[in-house]
Amino acid sequence: MQGFLDSLIAQGYFPGIPRNLVYAGGMLVFTVIVVVVFVFLVAGVTTFVERRVWARMQSRIGPNRVGPQGMLQWLADAIKLFLKEDLVPAQADARLFRLAPYIVVLGFLTAFIVIPFGSRLIIADLNVGIVFITAVTSLVVVGILMAGWSSNNKWSLIGGIRAAAQIVSYEIPTGLSIMPIVLLTGTLSMQGIISQQGWAPHTWFVFNNPFTFAAFFIFFTSALAEGNRTPFDLPEADTELVAGFVTEYTGVRYLMFFLAEWGNLYIIGAVVTTLFLGGWQIPPVTSGPVLRAVLEFLTFFVKSYFWVLVAMWIRATLPRVRVDQLMSVCWKYLVPFAFANILGTAVWVVLWPAGNVIVQYLMVLAGLALAWYFFRRVAFHLRRARVRERGELYLSPLA
Amino acid sequence: MNRNGYLRNIKDTCFTVLDGMAVTLSYLVRRPTTIQYPDRMAVRVQDTLPFRYRGILEVDLEICTGCLACERACPIDCIVIDAEKDKQTREMVLTRFDIDMAKCMYCGLCSEPCPTGAIHHTPEFEGADYSLESLVRRFVKEPVKAYKLKKGGEDDPEILEFLDRGMRYVEEFASPEAAPPAPKAAPKGPAA
Amino acid sequence: MGLEGFEVEVQQVGKPGLETEEMTLNMGPQHPSTHGVLRFVIKADGEVMREAIPDVGYLHRSIEKISEKVGYHGFMPYTDRVDYVAAMFCNQGWGMVCEKLGGIEVPKRGEYCRVIAAELNRISSHLIAVGCMILDIGAMTPFFHAFREREKINDLLEELCGARLTYNYMRIGGVAWDLPPNYAEKVLAFLDQFEPLLDEYNDLITYNKIYVERLANVAVVPAEVAINYNLVGPNLRGSGVQYDVRRDEPYSVYPELEFDIPVGKGEVGTVGDCFDRYIVRMREMKESARILRQCMKQIPDGPVIAKVPRKFKPPAGDAYVRVESARGDMGWYVVSDGSEFPYRTKIRTGSFSAMSIIDWMSRGLMIADLVAVISSLDVIAPEVDR
Repeated sequence: MQGFLDSLIAQGYFPGIPRNLVYAGGMLVFTVIVVVVFVFLVAGVTTFVERRVWARMQSRIGPNRVGPQGMLQWLADAIKLFLKEDLVPAQADARLFRLAPYIVVLGFLTAFIVIPFGSRLIIADLNVGIVFITAVTSLVVVGILMAGWSSNNKWSLIGGIRAAAQIVSYEIPTGLSIMPIVLLTGTLSMQGIISQQGWAPHTWFVFNNPFTFAAFFIFFTSALAEGNRTPFDLPEADTELVAGFVTEYTGVRYLMFFLAEWGNLYIIGAVVTTLFLGGWQIPPVTSGPVLRAVLEFLTFFVKSYFWVLVAMWIRATLPRVRVDQLMSVCWKYLVPFAFANILGTAVWVVLWPAGNVIVQYLMVLAGLALAWYFFRRVAFHLRRARVRERGELYLSPLA
Repeated sequence: MNRNGYLRNIKDTCFTVLDGMAVTLSYLVRRPTTIQYPDRMAVRVQDTLPFRYRGILEVDLEICTGCLACERACPIDCIVIDAEKDKQTREMVLTRFDIDMAKCMYCGLCSEPCPTGAIHHTPEFEGADYSLESLVRRFVKEPVKAYKLKKGGEDDPEILEFLDRGMRYVEEFASPEAAPPAPKAAPKGPAA
Repeated sequence: MGLEGFEVEVQQVGKPGLETEEMTLNMGPQHPSTHGVLRFVIKADGEVMREAIPDVGYLHRSIEKISEKVGYHGFMPYTDRVDYVAAMFCNQGWGMVCEKLGGIEVPKRGEYCRVIAAELNRISSHLIAVGCMILDIGAMTPFFHAFREREKINDLLEELCGARLTYNYMRIGGVAWDLPPNYAEKVLAFLDQFEPLLDEYNDLITYNKIYVERLANVAVVPAEVAINYNLVGPNLRGSGVQYDVRRDEPYSVYPELEFDIPVGKGEVGTVGDCFDRYIVRMREMKESARILRQCMKQIPDGPVIAKVPRKFKPPAGDAYVRVESARGDMGWYVVSDGSEFPYRTKIRTGSFSAMSIIDWMSRGLMIADLVAVISSLDVIAPEVDR
């Protein structure tokens, strides 16, 4: 962002304004654009996409009436939530009750400052980028606890406490899984991490060595738990606790909680892409700056949204774990493996400081083999249900 | 937890989770089974329902014999019939035939004993309305003579149409002797 | 309503100096996961429950009393509402008890029609039980798949008797409608595509590690406790007790049919845990499919209903009949005083006894487990309260 603004100043824009003020103003404008245009839009559309994807997995059609193919459903839902009555329960702690959604939204919106959408499309390339995201998304815990406590509802309280335990515990494997990448790159800055990867799959960090491959899965799992997504969605388990910590919330405050959830999902996808999948790197096909920026943005968006879709897919498939099982998964399985990954990557970096290309290619092949086995299993299920014979094959996503 | 159980847990989790995800992904390419009622349908739902479907009750007064079997059979007493024998003509006259569809539980016990199938269930099920009073179906507008089954079969084509449908409905019900259904054009008499 | 009638003494728990209170939670009549309107007053120490006191009666409709007003024939549609998820069994129970009182014999084809309808209903009831159990545990997709199959069964039963939920198919002395033409092909076509889907269900959710961990070793009910608490049906068989009314006190045409009784064996945990009750239901669906295929082959021709007078006046006396409903052994008891209205009807349902064991089971379980427990017992509120 700074480089972009520097080039604009060099071309003669903003005459007479002090440089720092230009930086501050530019960052503010970019933040507003990102937040309003991108985040809210993506979070809203994600609700719609989620419902359509779930529906097809459940052999039904999702919302398809509001707008062409139902694409304005999220807008209708948002408008409906705006028009709802804004309740504060009688005995609730009103100040905390009102404050909680804002803290949760703050927790996730601030993380967008360091999300790299392109080589120069980042609001602020902090040199502690990845740790900043981890730190700031923990604010969500405070918000959820406040929501659970101030609702004056025992079910909300249980939901809030569960969420606090869950998010705080899963910070550890998340943080530990970032460490192998930091060991490989030596930097915490998001653009720094991406610039050390390339556009080709074998240069991505996920295929760098077996330990980062494992770290990728651990990171994705713990990030899902951070984001309160199934199979770890106990805080909002709707069949157990009505709606968990958001039971008493209506209207816009409810909207904010759920915006935070879906926005968080996008952050998970973005961070996974940055750390493990090469971020916005594109092959050197063009040199025009605008075209490059657009292509980089699209690459980044497609890669990160893919993980959002995977999270939806997981949510449609898996049941919920219980609280004690959640804790045992975290502390007994994920944390030891995360530590083992750090040790392994450290040893790897010592043995092969410049990386081992053969292993990288082998890892790419291993990944492809896994995908191949997976799709063979999908074909087996289709064959067993005799889908093609019965003429039930329906590939179109349209309603 | 011993080492074997630990590793086996991980292996089981990975394999079963991935298998489940394979099933879900396979559903993504299958035809959804949703029927988009009521507007995006090729045929009206009411026309696809079987003949035995127990929807909203309908009375064909042209063939009602005034026997009051349906009123007696209804367990909820939602059928109210006023039928008197006219002193001069010695015929039954129906002055009231009300069915309260709000009370009706669509059990079919009324249409079973009907000798001509005058009272029968239609495939209609969309009965929602804004007021409770509108759910009472009043079938008699002005006093009407009850129908008498003719010995040689019915000859009036309009009434025959109702009678055919009614007898077809009634003959769907099982009868103790499993007799073959009576021929349509000349009903011999009330089914057992 | 509050807590009148419940002595709620809040206890201090924990070590001296670190005392906390037990929390009293109300899992109220409106809750997304209690199956119908059931209420539990839960005393929990954090997430662990100390007591779960059930409160029933929210769906009481005095069905037994209504029988004294509407008479024997007129009561048949009311029996549908006793357990609307498995209504055919209730119809069958009422039909059988009136036939026992009145000394009426149902023709062979009528009995076969009854069994066909009942087994189809058993499959659809188990689909609801299994689907809702999985939904309560958190997975959404298998619930929709189960209900999709249930819709197909509903279509089949709609062709048979004209209704999709409250069938009123059977009458005293047999059934009201004979099988429609080509019914056997339709049922067999349904079964052909249903059985592979059960295998797919197993791949998707049954042996899923998360699901197994939620259910294995949870709320273990040993066989003697199950018998003492009067559990029946899949709940009892899940605890390892080989008891099925169709086999041990056979009625209707079950002696002529071949089927196994699936019993819980503690495959993934202990005998009698929630997973066993679940897997018994899954296997029973396969057995019902087997029974249906045999019925379609063996069904004889003939009448389907015996001659029963319109004013049915059984001799004075009483009769008790047992039917193996989807939820277990359902008992029907009628006292007749010689008139055309019963003097007293009593329905004994499996869900009512299952409610009584929930408190015993839930000591020491977590709140999340309570949901799994209630749905594994397949408690249906209309059956509990009638």
